[in-house]
Amino acid sequence: MLARLQNVTKRYRTTEGVRDLSLDFPEGEIVGVLGLNGSGKSTMLKLIAGLLFPTAGTLTVFGGSARGNRSRTVFLGETDTLWPWMTPRDACRLMTGLYPDFEPHRFDELLDVLDVPRRKTKAMSKGERGRLRLAMALARSAKLYLLDEPLAGIDLLSREKILMSLVREWHTDETILLSTHEVAEAEGLFERAIYLRDGRLALDVPAEQLRQQGGSVVQTFKEVLA
Amino acid sequence: MKSLRTLLWLEHRRSWVWMASLLGSLAFWAWGIKQVRVMEVGERLGIRAGLLAMAAAVGVFVLCLMIGRIRAETRHGQYQVLLLTPPSGYTHVAARYLYAIGVALVYFITIGFLYWWIMALAGIHLDPTTLIELVLAVPFYAMCITVLPLLAWTLLLMVFISAYRVSGPGWVPGTVMLLGTPFVFRWLGEGIVRVSYSLPGWRLFANAPAALIERFGQPDPEAVLEIDRFLYLGVPLEPLLIMLALAAVMLVIAGRIWQEVEA
Repeated sequence: MLARLQNVTKRYRTTEGVRDLSLDFPEGEIVGVLGLNGSGKSTMLKLIAGLLFPTAGTLTVFGGSARGNRSRTVFLGETDTLWPWMTPRDACRLMTGLYPDFEPHRFDELLDVLDVPRRKTKAMSKGERGRLRLAMALARSAKLYLLDEPLAGIDLLSREKILMSLVREWHTDETILLSTHEVAEAEGLFERAIYLRDGRLALDVPAEQLRQQGGSVVQTFKEVLA
Repeated sequence: MKSLRTLLWLEHRRSWVWMASLLGSLAFWAWGIKQVRVMEVGERLGIRAGLLAMAAAVGVFVLCLMIGRIRAETRHGQYQVLLLTPPSGYTHVAARYLYAIGVALVYFITIGFLYWWIMALAGIHLDPTTLIELVLAVPFYAMCITVLPLLAWTLLLMVFISAYRVSGPGWVPGTVMLLGTPFVFRWLGEGIVRVSYSLPGWRLFANAPAALIERFGQPDPEAVLEIDRFLYLGVPLEPLLIMLALAAVMLVIAGRIWQEVEA
C-alpha cells in the first residue's frame, strides 16, 4: 500500500479541512480526487505529501510518516510556485541537485512534448508555467504522484497537452492522485473516483463500475455533490 | 554535499540582487566619505570613521532583511516547494546562513579596507600586521558578536512565524519574539559584561600606537593609560564564544522547526 489514511482529521484554526477520512491507495491507479471548492481535496493531498500533519487519525505513506517519505512522493501544488527568474534550465539544475530520482533527459523530452518555451518563468504565460511545473514533477521517477489542480486556469490546448503527458508518462506501478474541477476532460483517465464533500468522503468508486452501470464520473459528480 | 551546493546556488540566484546592492552600496559610502572636507584632520577622521560604522549597521540590517524573506516565499508558495525537498531543515537553514555569512564577510572586510583607506587619507600609515588585524581580525570579531547571532535570530524568528501560519495565529509568536528581543539582548549584554575577561583577551593593534604617535604626536597621559590598558587586556573572548554558541543553538532550533513546519 502506498498510502493509507485511517480516520484522518485535519483541523485548521476555525475550520476542518478533512474529517474522519479513511482511504487506501495501492500501486497502479489513477485516482480522481473530486469535489467542490473547500471540500478538502487540497488538504488531503497535502496531508499525503507531508506538507500538513493530521490533527487526529493515522496516516502512513510508504509504511512510514508522510514527511519522512516526502522525497519518495511527487507533489504538484495548485499555486504558481516557481521563482520568476527561473528558466527551464535552472529548474533542471535545481531538481537534479535536490532529487536523486530526477531524470534530466526525461525532463528535456517533457519540455518538448509539453511545448515549454526556454525562457524565464516571468516571461511565460500561466499555461506555460503550469506545463513547466508538470514537466518538473513528471521527470521524477516516483511511485506516488499528487497533482493538485494541474489544469486550473490553463487554456484548453495546454490542458490537453498535460492530460496527454499524464497518460504517456504513467507506468502501471505508479499511482496518480489527480484533483481537478475539469472532471469531464479528465474523466477518461480515472480508474477510481473519490468524491469529497465538506471534508468527508462522499463516495469512493471504481470508474469502470460507474461506466458499466451506464453512468459516468461527471454524472455521478453532479448526483453526489449537488 | 550536492544538495547543500544546490541550495547555495539557489540562495545566490534568489539573493544576488541584494548581495550586489549591498556590496555596491560601499561605493556610495566611499563617495560620501570622500565628500567630508572638514579642515581638522582628527575631526575629519572621526566623521569618516562614523560614516563607516553607519555603513556597517546598515549592512547588518540589510543582511537581516535578505535572510528573513521566508514570509514572502510562504505567500508565493516557494517555501512549500522547499519544504518538500529531500534535504533536511538543517541543510536548508545552513545554506541560507552560509550564503548570508559569505556576503557579510566580503562586506565587512571591504569596510576594514575602507578604514585603512581613511587612515591613509589622514596620513596614518599602518604596518602590515596592523593592516591584517584591521581588515581580517576586526571584521571577524565584529561579525561574531553581532552579525552571526542577529542573522541566526532573524532566521529563527521567520521560521518560527511560518510554523504557526497554517494552524495557528502566526502574528502571536512573531509579536512576542519581536517585543522580547530588546529585553533578551539587554539581559544577554549584561551577562556578557559580567563574565568578560574571565579568559585572557585577544590582543590586537600592538603596533598601532606607534603609527598614531607618528602622525598626531604624543597623546595626553590619560589617553596613554587607556591605550596601554586596551593593549594589555585585548578584546574579550567571552562575547565571541557566547555569541557563536548562541548562534549555533538558534540555528539548530530553526532547522528543527523547519522539519515540522506546515505549508
